[in-house]
Amino acid sequence: MKNVSKIIPCYAADTSGVCSALYELGGLTVVHDASGCNSTYSTHDEPRWYDVRSKIYISAMTELDMVLGNDEKFISDVVSAAHDQEPEFISICGSPMPMMTGFDYDAVAYEIGQRSGIKTIPLHTNGTRSYIEGASEAFVEIIKAYAEETEKTKNGVNVLGLTPLDFPLGADRDIKKWLDENGFKCICTLAMGCTVDDVRKMAGAALNLVVSHSGLAAAEYMKEQFGIPYVCGVPFGKGFSKKLADHMISVITDSDSFSPFVLPCDGFPDADTIIIGESITSGSLAAALWSDMKITAKPLCTLPSHRFFTRHSAEDIYAEEDIEAYLKETAPKTVIADPLYKYILPKETKLITLPHFAFSGRCFAKDMHSLINREIKEYFK
Amino acid sequence: MIKIALYGKGGIGKSTCTSNLSAAFAKLGKKVIQIGCDPKADSTINLLHGDPVMPVMDYMRIHDEEPDRIEQISKVGFGGVVCIETGGPTPGLGCAGRGIITTFSLLEQLELFDTVKPDVVLYDVLGDVVCGGFAAPIREGYAEKILIVTSGEKMALYAANNINSAVKNFEDRSYAKVRGIIMNRRNVENEEEKVRAFAESSGLDIAADIPRSADIIKYEDMGMTCVEGDPECETSKRFLELAKLLISEDENND
Repeated sequence: MKNVSKIIPCYAADTSGVCSALYELGGLTVVHDASGCNSTYSTHDEPRWYDVRSKIYISAMTELDMVLGNDEKFISDVVSAAHDQEPEFISICGSPMPMMTGFDYDAVAYEIGQRSGIKTIPLHTNGTRSYIEGASEAFVEIIKAYAEETEKTKNGVNVLGLTPLDFPLGADRDIKKWLDENGFKCICTLAMGCTVDDVRKMAGAALNLVVSHSGLAAAEYMKEQFGIPYVCGVPFGKGFSKKLADHMISVITDSDSFSPFVLPCDGFPDADTIIIGESITSGSLAAALWSDMKITAKPLCTLPSHRFFTRHSAEDIYAEEDIEAYLKETAPKTVIADPLYKYILPKETKLITLPHFAFSGRCFAKDMHSLINREIKEYFK
Repeated sequence: MIKIALYGKGGIGKSTCTSNLSAAFAKLGKKVIQIGCDPKADSTINLLHGDPVMPVMDYMRIHDEEPDRIEQISKVGFGGVVCIETGGPTPGLGCAGRGIITTFSLLEQLELFDTVKPDVVLYDVLGDVVCGGFAAPIREGYAEKILIVTSGEKMALYAANNINSAVKNFEDRSYAKVRGIIMNRRNVENEEEKVRAFAESSGLDIAADIPRSADIIKYEDMGMTCVEGDPECETSKRFLELAKLLISEDENND
């Protein structure tokens, strides 16, 4: 019962991560779950649902389907929907129920692929992990399925790990503009504002920019498969955006000599400001606060993250009681976090709200602001 | 790598056959892993001189967390055979099939095959393919071949037929295929004819013919397999012949 949250919500689950990552790519995404659950993945966790069309389906499984192991019904329904919809690809993922019965995603995806003649990608979600794990697997698999060796583009950059679960709508345009201003050529912003055709061209990049932990596994895969180096960071603020762009140029020029981590959060172990959230965005914000305002802050990552981002705060803090205890013990002067964290902060701690869609969904969506390549002094004054 | 799952009616001698086959492979110089997939968790007991290994489900129940090393849930038995038991839930509660799936995910996480680097992996599976969990050992990446253990008894043949049909249902998937039958004799009337008739009607081969022998009980009482107790006895010879046959088939496939 360690991970039970009594006060704060839990983060969006891996299934939502898959749906969000693949939302704009033209595939048929099928979640093996009970009827009605589509709203969880596609409306509560998906701000694009009412404005952008996407083929997100639920298998509408019943108790008897589970008890009887009606794989055939699932397979024929998906094949039939695929024939109607003619998607670019099919992806199948699931919820806790198929996990309990040991649904074999690989074998079922193989059968669907054989019968439909459409590329079918199995994604092994079970609804018990965070959106980071689901999106992460989806990004890796879509790249494996579509990225092809191609001619290199000078200063070509892919942006990896971009979903509305971590970024406000329009973040892709802000990043593209910033890349353009700094002499980079944006190839693909996986996966907001991009298509499968963009994914096909990804191997032509000179660098991958990882903007959330969801994109890290894909970056590592592309480094191994296509020899493309990567840098982790989001161009928040003005000073850090410039520093990040300079670092990207250095890595493109000589990837062996530079770390993928440009963020200076290793300099602030005693910072009295804590940023709670996804690791790369939180680390980047800490870097921006230092560059633009000389504020020292450190991230507290309550989601899966690279050790680099947790070495001065705490590792593996996911449970509400652990987060609460850590904040009580460290008594930070200020916390920057989603508004719903206010209920577990120490009384003396000031909260600066930074809504996180993967945490509070639509509740504060209108208050989400892009900090990409913008002055941040006004927001954090 | 040779990866085989043994299925058959409950009480037909699957664990006896699997353990003797493991011991035979080990005797022929192979590095073997035997995974018992049965809540009773007694598959490997005769490779361990009666000193059982902690089943995976028991480990999780006691420690309330997953093991982080293979050694915590395995024991090395006769001939260096690495013995693992999935175990199961509290009798009458939970889900045994799900226990097998959980164990397999865990073994993958602990990189069992990369750590032990086995030549042979044998899965000893409870009874019929009753649900998704009990089909887990024949999914892609696990067993590649299935041996069905049966005697000439009607219910054993009935179960053998069910297992063969269940595997046929998975023809469109990259699951294991039935390699053949181990005829584990119970000395029933016209036993050989009955088993041969079933094998012929199902298009299966009798891979081994294990005689009814007091040696099996004698050595099991001593906590060991026949192959360990007396490698020269007729029963041991049959298991050694089967192991040699499977090795040569594997080599020819390579």
